[in-house]
Amino acid sequence: MTNTINGIVDSDVMLVIGSNTTETHPIIGLRMLAAAKKGARLIVADPRRIMLCDRAELWLQQRPGTDSALINAMCHVILRDGLEDRKFIEERTENFAAFRESVADCTPQWAEKISNVPAGEIEKAARIFAQAERAGIYYTMGITQHTSGTDNVCALANLALITGNLGKAGAGLNPLRGQNNVQGASDMGCNPTFFPGYQRCDSPEARRKFAGIWGVELSDRPGLVATEMPDAILEGRLAGMWIMGENPVLSDPNSDHVRRALEKLEILVVQDIFLTETAELADVVLPAASFAEKEGTFTNTERRVQRVRRAVPPPGEARDDLSIINMVAARMLATGHGHSISMDPVFHTVPPLAPEIFAEITTCWPAMAGMSYERLEEGPLTWPCPTPDHPGTPILHVDGFPRGRALLSAITWQGPEELPDEEYPLVLTTGRVLYQYHTGTMTRRSRVLEDAAPGPYVEMNPDDARAAGVADGDEVRASSRRGSIVLPVRVTDRIQQGLVFIPFHYREAAANLLTNDALDPHCKIAEAKVCAVKIEKTVTEPAPLAL
Amino acid sequence: MPIRLLPSGFWLLIPLMSNVKLTIDGNEIIAEKGLTILEVARRSRIPIPTLCYVPGTVGDPACEICVVEIANHAECGLRSQLKTEGLFRSCATLALDGMEVLTSSEAVIAHRQERLALISQKHFGDCKAPCNLTCPGQINVQGYIAHIAMGQYEEALRLIMERNPVPFSVGRVCPRFCETRCRRILVDEPVSINHLKRFVADWCMNHEIDLKIPKERPTGKRIAVIGGGPAGLTAAFFLTRKGHDVTIFEAAPQLGGALRYGFPEYKIPKEVLDYEINSILRMGINIRLSQRWGTDFTLQDLKDMGFDATFIGIGAGVDLPLDIPCTENEHVYAATSFLRMVNLGKRPDMGRRAAVIGGNNIAMEVARSLVRLGVDEVTVIYPRSRIEMPANQRNIKEAEKEGVQFLLMASPVSICGVPEKNFRLKLDLIRMKLGEPDKRGKRDVIPIPDSTNSLSVDTVVTSLGQRAVAEPVVKGGELEAQLALTPRGMIQANPRSSQTSVDGVFAGGDAASGPKSVIQAVVSARRAADNIHAYVMQQPKAPAESRFNFTRGRSFDDVSLRNFDGIGVQLREKVPERPPETAIQDFDEVKLGFTEKMALREADRCLSCGCTAFDRCDLKRLDIEYKVNINKTGMGTVPHYPIDKTHPAITVDRNKCIFCRRCERVCQYDALTVSAQSVDEYGRPVGLEITFGDNCVSCGKCVDNCSTGALNKRSRIVPIQSEKVRDIRTTCPYCGTGCQMILKVKGQTVMEVTADPEVGPNYGDLCVKGRFGHNFIHHPDRLKRPLIRRQKGMPLEPVKWDEALEFMAQSFARIRGEKGPDALAGLSSARCTTEENYAFQKFFRAGIGTNNVDHCARY
Repeated sequence: MTNTINGIVDSDVMLVIGSNTTETHPIIGLRMLAAAKKGARLIVADPRRIMLCDRAELWLQQRPGTDSALINAMCHVILRDGLEDRKFIEERTENFAAFRESVADCTPQWAEKISNVPAGEIEKAARIFAQAERAGIYYTMGITQHTSGTDNVCALANLALITGNLGKAGAGLNPLRGQNNVQGASDMGCNPTFFPGYQRCDSPEARRKFAGIWGVELSDRPGLVATEMPDAILEGRLAGMWIMGENPVLSDPNSDHVRRALEKLEILVVQDIFLTETAELADVVLPAASFAEKEGTFTNTERRVQRVRRAVPPPGEARDDLSIINMVAARMLATGHGHSISMDPVFHTVPPLAPEIFAEITTCWPAMAGMSYERLEEGPLTWPCPTPDHPGTPILHVDGFPRGRALLSAITWQGPEELPDEEYPLVLTTGRVLYQYHTGTMTRRSRVLEDAAPGPYVEMNPDDARAAGVADGDEVRASSRRGSIVLPVRVTDRIQQGLVFIPFHYREAAANLLTNDALDPHCKIAEAKVCAVKIEKTVTEPAPLAL
Repeated sequence: MPIRLLPSGFWLLIPLMSNVKLTIDGNEIIAEKGLTILEVARRSRIPIPTLCYVPGTVGDPACEICVVEIANHAECGLRSQLKTEGLFRSCATLALDGMEVLTSSEAVIAHRQERLALISQKHFGDCKAPCNLTCPGQINVQGYIAHIAMGQYEEALRLIMERNPVPFSVGRVCPRFCETRCRRILVDEPVSINHLKRFVADWCMNHEIDLKIPKERPTGKRIAVIGGGPAGLTAAFFLTRKGHDVTIFEAAPQLGGALRYGFPEYKIPKEVLDYEINSILRMGINIRLSQRWGTDFTLQDLKDMGFDATFIGIGAGVDLPLDIPCTENEHVYAATSFLRMVNLGKRPDMGRRAAVIGGNNIAMEVARSLVRLGVDEVTVIYPRSRIEMPANQRNIKEAEKEGVQFLLMASPVSICGVPEKNFRLKLDLIRMKLGEPDKRGKRDVIPIPDSTNSLSVDTVVTSLGQRAVAEPVVKGGELEAQLALTPRGMIQANPRSSQTSVDGVFAGGDAASGPKSVIQAVVSARRAADNIHAYVMQQPKAPAESRFNFTRGRSFDDVSLRNFDGIGVQLREKVPERPPETAIQDFDEVKLGFTEKMALREADRCLSCGCTAFDRCDLKRLDIEYKVNINKTGMGTVPHYPIDKTHPAITVDRNKCIFCRRCERVCQYDALTVSAQSVDEYGRPVGLEITFGDNCVSCGKCVDNCSTGALNKRSRIVPIQSEKVRDIRTTCPYCGTGCQMILKVKGQTVMEVTADPEVGPNYGDLCVKGRFGHNFIHHPDRLKRPLIRRQKGMPLEPVKWDEALEFMAQSFARIRGEKGPDALAGLSSARCTTEENYAFQKFFRAGIGTNNVDHCARY
């Protein structure tokens, strides 16, 4: 997020696109509802009538995979009617002319044909957004999990830039990060191209710097992204993997493909707190600690670094993940402190411990250079925080952009990779429900949550249900080119015709067996939000007549 | 706010525009205009109690607890709406310039007391369960049963050990005061509490659980404990937990005292006792065995050795003599020496017929031991009726089942006569009858003249009670001589302070009280440990827990049967035991203990009488603080509403609702309504309804704001008492919002999750996952050991860390050697910490030499 969660209540307009915020980020959703109550105008763009739609002034029900067409058309209206923030554009952006050219043909009528959103509503949305003093954009995977995910984000950035909605409170471009520490993992360079702090591994300067800190020469070849790894395994380029705290067999699109790949590895090490679907395939399973059993930090979606504190020791022989990494490193590389066993009788930790690692992190990346555990004891800090007396930076780009001027990019709308056809006439989109989380390893083992949302379902529009000959509660088979699952149907007009929705939490009907693993060419994200499926009533053998 | 508390206690005053200046309890305060007195006081950290306040809202009806007196209200142009002139609700009165506010004047306190009493009159429930209140050890019985019901056996034992360090023994020999008061009696039968306690102890022993009981930092104080029985072990345990350096001096060659040398093995097996004692010693306690006080050392010696205090817990092991002629006979034994002999494994010939004189618990163990030693006829002789025998009726029944006979209303007069052929002793007896009642109505027994008869036996064992010290003065040294004894031969100790007549010397257990149950010795020693701690640290003793208690009925007669509507009959589990025919063949344990399934079924029978909001109830806290005597002013007596368990996450007990409506006002989803058909003149509801709308998302904020136990989290079924929960502030593990949460930890279990309304980004809000999604932490499915698959196609098998790490390291090294570093890859986790992610990618980049490291940002 460029802005803060609690700044949401200061906004005049909120554009929520591809985010079912009240279910996926309930507390952020609460702030949105509070802002709406205070008078902020809420625009929701979502193919499903999510809860926020009930409080929205305007609900744009776009077809999945048409987001950038919709956004480009909004930009078109803004420029056509002269609603843009000229001063901001002149002073703080570049490439405006090319951008203006790129949206010249993106009329609301053009976008209506693509997205099915009435042109009048697109015009209205553009005007509400552009005329606001403070307008914030909020999005999640509904925007990014597409083959055009990068373009979608750029389109939203364009919208924020031409209306001058960056660098001030109650505005901004705000991706709501889905996992507790996805920000921290990204910051720390768990990425094949970037060292910690987004420093490129193919930059000689960055390599020199990290070689200095770590004391070894480093590879300049960018590595494989997660979504490329299955193919690399099947092609024989990858032979061993260590997966820490992930469950790609359930979470990744076209998961059967992932499973087949993982099975082919010479060695698969999985480190987790439960025997997940992925761990079941492993050759070595390392028992790890939950968040309540370790010390450290998480960085939230606001870039706010917050402490995680140990409440209880890990169960049995389980160890905190950091100690496990240290043990492996000590054993394989004879580095670190050289311990492969613990000296701590209660928590069994193996050094270097979290505070020491954190101190090393602050030497790697100027944005966190001013942080320390001592400071974090006083309260959280938001990066960039370059010096020990720096208060942190809750709102980004107040005084400028890292690259000087922000680049307006010309985006051409491209549809999803897989579209419905005769055989697979419906579009499947996936997502979360309030009571479950990701692959359910934690939530499905918490009674209140599991009782509230105990099983999978497919949401279907009444018209589609009629056409398929299924009624609410019927068991159906949902199939795509990649796989099929059986689950009950939930007939509801909250979803538009032609679209079905399946939450991806449930192993008994894993939605990702169906989804498409086609990748965005830039960031290699897979198109989990759109694929073509068919829904059929499961054929049950008629019960034999009792004689 | 321009107000800041300085260390000196003065207010830093920075005048600003549109401010008001007032005094609260004499403190001059400058505050923003437009705030209520309550808000001003809170910001200045002046506490004003309230039951219904929610920031930004006004209570309706108001609890009127937040009243303050405005000394100059007339000058301020105010007229009180309350019946006492000058009192105002601070939540609804704006702070005005020049106001003189008193937050705890006599009138204010009287008003609060009156309001609390009125509100309490309609509050119906139990603070503590009757079992808990009846237990001499005040053990949180309901709590450990709830842990058992959830499968948390280890935590159940830890909870017991907070107050009783000898649960293995107590779980086998306790007289079970608690079970006599169990409300389940009003439905069918009491919960089998003691067997549940024994189950968790045994389960933890069989699973080699290390309870990891924490100790406080070393104090540098040294304490001597004389006696290694239940009292001595208990005192040593609690003193060690407090950080003291404890040494036990034991006269016998092994620790255990009465547990080892008193109770026969069929009651407390020696290996169980050894395990129990070792688990206490593991805390780090010094022991000196075969050191007899008075012979091997004196109290002065202990002082000279540098002990800061001494605890005497020597038990009561000196038998009272049978005062009849000819008892000096090798076949006449005293109970404790007889049992000591048996427990040392000696099996002397006891003959075919034996008499046991006395009707106490020890006599029952003597009788049962005699049966096991091959005596054909064992007769217990007691001068009164069976019902008057001091032994526990359960023990009497067990003895009877094993063939022990009872000769009642009879008393021995001599053992001098010549026995029948083939017997060793002739026991002359006289029949007894009840005499006239004395002033207190007690009827003594008197012999019936000329009613003698005799019994020829081979062995006589007398069990007429014990004293702690044989002689009128303790032998040893000067300090011993100063040690006052009671007329019954016990060590005199103040029951409150545990102090003996010698400074720095404390006593407890049977040595001070005379023979009682093990749990009573534990309680006495625990109290002594608290006193010794206060003494050596020169601190005042921690105040005793308040006895304040709402109850649904003190005696069974007071309890309305409507409390049990809808509860079906489910009889208690029968503990498996060896049939008496085989049990008497040896000294092996008779009762075999519950299986896990039985324990779970039995734990499910608990009616959970006590309040699970015990640790957070504002009404109870304020009643105690304002000394409201609800026994006089009244409390609810009958249930008006059934308990509502239809909500998936929240249990509603309207009987406890005081209609403060905080729940309704904190709900940001407007999903909760609290309404009443009418309210009485004091604002108390009649026909109360608490309804959750369909839009409720189970975030649980209402529960965290309930001022009593009317709303409860369904999953939080363990009442939190005695040792406090630890509040661990941490970050939510679910989405990227990064809500700050408080994990309430007791022992090693996360009991519940709450949030601090002062801390962002969530300011007291949490979603259903944050507040309720933490059961996974202690889920039995958690991976607890490393696993490896030695070959493809083979199953995963548990191994030691060393082997798993070696397997992994060798495989990785081989692949790296054969195919290069880029043939290896790592997937890191957005679930893990920043530090772990950093270390992970560093391992791959700097250690393996590849950039093949990614994480799940794309999902």
